[in-house]
Amino acid sequence: MLSNPVVLGQIVVNGLSLSSIYILVALGFTLLFGIMRVVNFAHGEFAMLGGFSLYYLYAVFKLPWLLAIALVPFLVALPALLLEWLVFRWFYQKMFQSMIGLLGLNMAMIYTGLIVWDAFERNIPAAFDGIVRFGGVIAPIDRLVTIGISLLALAGFYFLMVHTRWGLAMRAAAQDVDIAATQGIDTRRIYKLAFVVAIGLAALAGALYGQIYAVSPFMGERPLFVAFVVVILGGMGSVSGAALGGVLLGFTESLLGTLYGGSVAAYASFGVVVLLLIFRPWGLLGKPE
Amino acid sequence: MASIAGTDMTSNAEAPPVVGSARGSRGTLIALSAVALILAVVPYVIDERFGYHIAIMVCFAAIGASSLHLIIRTGHVSLCHSAFVGVGAYASANAVMKLNLPFVGGLLAGTLASASLALVIGPIILRLTGKYFVLITFLLGEILRMVFVDWIAVTGGANGMTGIPAPAPAFADPKAFYILALAAAIFCIAVCARILSSEIGRFVNAIRESEQLAECVGVPVIRTKIMMFVIACAFAGFAGSLLAHYGRYISPPNFGPIESLNLVIMNVIGGMNTLIGPLIGAFFLVLVPELLRGYVQLQHVIFGIMLIVVMAFMPGGMAGLGDILASLTRRFGKRAS
Repeated sequence: MLSNPVVLGQIVVNGLSLSSIYILVALGFTLLFGIMRVVNFAHGEFAMLGGFSLYYLYAVFKLPWLLAIALVPFLVALPALLLEWLVFRWFYQKMFQSMIGLLGLNMAMIYTGLIVWDAFERNIPAAFDGIVRFGGVIAPIDRLVTIGISLLALAGFYFLMVHTRWGLAMRAAAQDVDIAATQGIDTRRIYKLAFVVAIGLAALAGALYGQIYAVSPFMGERPLFVAFVVVILGGMGSVSGAALGGVLLGFTESLLGTLYGGSVAAYASFGVVVLLLIFRPWGLLGKPE
Repeated sequence: MASIAGTDMTSNAEAPPVVGSARGSRGTLIALSAVALILAVVPYVIDERFGYHIAIMVCFAAIGASSLHLIIRTGHVSLCHSAFVGVGAYASANAVMKLNLPFVGGLLAGTLASASLALVIGPIILRLTGKYFVLITFLLGEILRMVFVDWIAVTGGANGMTGIPAPAPAFADPKAFYILALAAAIFCIAVCARILSSEIGRFVNAIRESEQLAECVGVPVIRTKIMMFVIACAFAGFAGSLLAHYGRYISPPNFGPIESLNLVIMNVIGGMNTLIGPLIGAFFLVLVPELLRGYVQLQHVIFGIMLIVVMAFMPGGMAGLGDILASLTRRFGKRAS
């Protein structure tokens, strides 16, 4: 079956698009942990909000798709600053409390979503149809667009973190908040910035994910599961680990999902995580504590 | 009980300080009798059949929450506890319906199935602490739920299992079952209290404060953690078995992440530092939804917000409210004088 170029091509394209979405989810998750020591159990719900934003902007208000997808991260992340003020700031540098408190936020958001939107799934109409052929390999355009947009977001993230003073400040805060503060870094502002970036990435991922599957109040569960697997694979707080974990998980899921079906892929990824935890509990690229 | 308390007194098992243990056991005794009393009265206050149903649900919640409390006391928050309840429920239902065992056999099968799964998986996941443990138990809970859905031959898939027989024809009546559930809950809470007030309980507290330090002074850290996990999951399976034979119907959503989270919420809202906490929480989480009947979704929103507020401002939970009030009055008293 793998010798068939159509199947192989599909596995590669699906693997790439899944990987890129997973990396977006996990990056934000790991960023929040790396800088604020907050385990964001509500991360999947921000992805859900991203999915609904795209649904409204594109399917309801009929904005051009590219404009809609570009607006989604801002539409979710900026209002989310209110939640930062109400909820998140109490949990900064308190890992244990943050987990339980944000589990609460997760539940509150899911059920608020249910009250507002009901449980049924909404489909976002396809923005691009048609396929591209590379030799024998067939790739649907919308998947390629997903990959492209994720890559753009990742490049933007990389540029922000590595080539700007804000990024430098965030990296400094991730290493040691107190010392960063003594060097004149306004950590409150850095926290807000990191929060907006992380939530924006999650919202974008949720929009792309919702485009491929469907949008519903429960759709955040899968991205959350994925973020956990990816950060355990890659090591929590490690950005390159999130990237590696995302690619590994995306391709595993695409390969096994295509050949054997979705649940086999989920079992396999869990099995891999368990194996990894036995041999390298600090993740592939993380450091032992 | 003696065997549980006695297994780990390896080297010099000196008698624990008398004052501490006496106070501890008297406190738990008072608490236990208070709980038993309230539980015995509750169904008579609320009307008839429905009252019994609520009381039975409180008993189940109390078993789930107090057994989870054993794990939480070691400093590990498990997000898959109700999945172990599910393992017990399915094992028991299968034992009784397919192997034609009597109810006691099913109860044993459920308890053992859950405990042995914990024994296999515990040593792996208990190497992790803090955040990683929480994440892996969340994943484990999802995986077990998927198993409940996918393993149709054993679990009946998404439709679940129906027609599970009552423990005995007499127990089909909620009034009779209530006695059974109350006895089970008291048994479970008593065992938990006994464990926590024994030397093992001190091991547990030491592990929560600092694993490395506990290791240094000779506490068998990983062994104690695994023991707590297995005992807790055994009780979860036990509760699951009772649940299956009370409701007569089980399906995967009964044992999903929301249910696991509810057990955590009982511990958090009630207070994570004492065994009273999860019991308060169990009452609260079963009774409040009855007041908010018809607003199922709003209920969850409210519980979610409560979780945030409790975690942010009163980590001791309701059981810690007394301390907060005491310190407040002391402070204001000082200011006034």
